[in-house]
Amino acid sequence: MKNIIVCTKIVPKSENIIFDTATKRLDRSKAENQINETDKNAIETALRLREENGGKVILLSMGPPFFESYLKLGMAMGADDAILLSDRSFGGADTFPTALVLATAIKKIGDYDLILAGEESSDAGLGQLPGQIAEFLDLPQVLFVSSLEVAGDKLMGKRTIRGGHETVEVEMPAVISIEMHANQARFPDFRRKRWADSDYKLTIWGSKDLELAEEVTGLKGSFTIVRGLVDITPPKRKKIFIRGDSKEITSKLVELMRERK
Amino acid sequence: MTTKDIWVFIEREGEEIAEPSLEILGKATELTKKFGYTLTGILLGTPGDETARETIRYGADRAIILKHDDLNDYSNDLYVKSLFDAIRKETPTAFLIGATPYGRDLAGRLAARLRTGLTANAINMEMDENGLVVFGVPAYGGKILAEIVCEKTRPQMSTVRPGTFNKVYDPKREGKIRTLIPDLSNVRNRVKVLERNVSKLKDLSKSERTIVGGNGTGGDITLVKRLAELANCDIGVTRPLADKGLVPRDLQVGSTGYSLKSKVALILGVSGSEHFTSGIKDCETVVSIDIDERSEIFNHSDYCIVGDVSEIVPLLINKLEDKA
Ligand SMILES: Cc1cc2nc3c(=O)[nH]c(=O)nc-3n(C[C@H](O)[C@H](O)[C@H](O)COP(=O)(O)OP(=O)(O)OC[C@H]3O[C@@H](n4cnc5c(N)ncnc54)[C@H](O)[C@@H]3O)c2cc1C
Ligand SMILES: Nc1ncnc2c1ncn2[C@@H]1O[C@H](COP(=O)(O)O)[C@@H](O)[C@H]1O
Repeated sequence: MKNIIVCTKIVPKSENIIFDTATKRLDRSKAENQINETDKNAIETALRLREENGGKVILLSMGPPFFESYLKLGMAMGADDAILLSDRSFGGADTFPTALVLATAIKKIGDYDLILAGEESSDAGLGQLPGQIAEFLDLPQVLFVSSLEVAGDKLMGKRTIRGGHETVEVEMPAVISIEMHANQARFPDFRRKRWADSDYKLTIWGSKDLELAEEVTGLKGSFTIVRGLVDITPPKRKKIFIRGDSKEITSKLVELMRERK
Repeated sequence: MTTKDIWVFIEREGEEIAEPSLEILGKATELTKKFGYTLTGILLGTPGDETARETIRYGADRAIILKHDDLNDYSNDLYVKSLFDAIRKETPTAFLIGATPYGRDLAGRLAARLRTGLTANAINMEMDENGLVVFGVPAYGGKILAEIVCEKTRPQMSTVRPGTFNKVYDPKREGKIRTLIPDLSNVRNRVKVLERNVSKLKDLSKSERTIVGGNGTGGDITLVKRLAELANCDIGVTRPLADKGLVPRDLQVGSTGYSLKSKVALILGVSGSEHFTSGIKDCETVVSIDIDERSEIFNHSDYCIVGDVSEIVPLLINKLEDKA
């Protein structure tokens, strides 16, 4: 198999993000970052396919320089290489320019059979990027895939649809998005992590390397804008604890369920 | 230039229209009526006339059928091509799609080809007199609502979260049905479906009484199912149980599943992560059982029981069976 490119995003853990209702701003400063959960499953898929079919697993990410240390975690999982697309002008991008930048880099890498991504990112949570990359590369796409294997020059996958799933066959190269928890992603290998931190050099490309004009990337190249943020406060609940022996508890439960028909 | 026309993608399963499409029509009627816009339901393939008429009874002013035998089953390649051509020709100001797996598969690529903005998973839509739609989109597991607009390009596109809006139905409502013949001579469907495995499921967002099983059930929901049957409830699960394939994804509650609007929800062994609790905030009464007194789920519950699900559920089953 030729290159397997895995689109990997680094995201803040949502639990630690604080929304300041007064300023209507998000405070991400206390948030720890991590490789987007479902992207780990995409990386795992890539590593397994490489084990069976050969090829090279390349992580590809667009984001600020601090992404680098997290991509090294991906390297420690077993990826062969990682490329970070980082440039001031890439900032503030919505899906469209993000897909454009990633697709341009994928063309520059070249020689690929498979582009993998996670089903959606946990911060923005759009799930739209893989389809847009496929469009820019003019490749077929299969999204929300829970298992994937190579069958000759084709890929066979199982994808989630309304009410169930489908088994589909698609020619390579193709863009595939992997469902969260489609597999058990392996942990970073400790020794490989040490190597990645000390000896491995990550490739970083900016707008010049990709020959992309500033107007088409980042905020300038975006079609949507966030006008405002609104807090969604969960409703205040009664929080009444029901205590007693199991008989009392079950009676009370049945009563509660009965009353509310 | 765009026309004062809002389009809704009508997803079909045979001659049946998928619920999410009907819900969007219901909400979109509010937007179009206010400023004299047309609401168009867009169907692909060769649906019966009756199906097209149904979209009108559910609120559309008219239906457009992109008629072609090859469009009866969903295909990303063929759907994107047909819709792209039709949208370029008819220039609607907005195009709305249910955030179903097929809908989401379609939306991203279509927006890229149209070179227009796309919002995802909207749970709110408001339009101003200039036809600018403000889409409300949950972010960070549903703790924040981002208000997103697409100012410069048309159509304004969004997927809409299933189970959010209410359908309207008027059996007497009439409207025009137009047919367009898409040109598919230069496209090929590159994704072949070898097998389809679907079952008809109750729409969880319409469930009045729900029992939700989480990891605290130990991953075995046989007893939860039995309890649900006896208590006349529908069943839902948290993401980890859906990930295990215990039930189809359509029974998952939470930010990447369905939102419940139940009168009563009984929550069994769920830790109460934000991704989950955003899916129960519209329930009238929430009752939870968790073994851990400090479980976050209790902060989102009206009645809280500290206990072992594997003990309490069989007792409940016994009690209900006795009465039967
Ligand atoms: C992008 C993204 C999207 C997500 N979308 C969703 C979503 O839509 N829906 C969703 O549910 N999750 C979603 N998640 C996952 C979510 O963050 C949580 O991991 C998940 O909800 C946890 O499920 P749980 O509560 O069943 O399991 P756990 O977190 O493992 O909690 C189990 C609970 O059961 C209790 N327990 C254990 N044993 C017993 C017993 N014998 N009796 C009683 N109680 C017991 C424990 O005390 C604990 O509170 C998403 C995550 C991400 C990153
Ligand atoms: N900035 C990025 N860099 C690399 N991959 C990304 C980026 N943003 C999104 N992706 C990939 O696209 C998937 C879907 O993202 P989204 O459309 O933002 O929900 C993610 O799971 C990632 O695999």
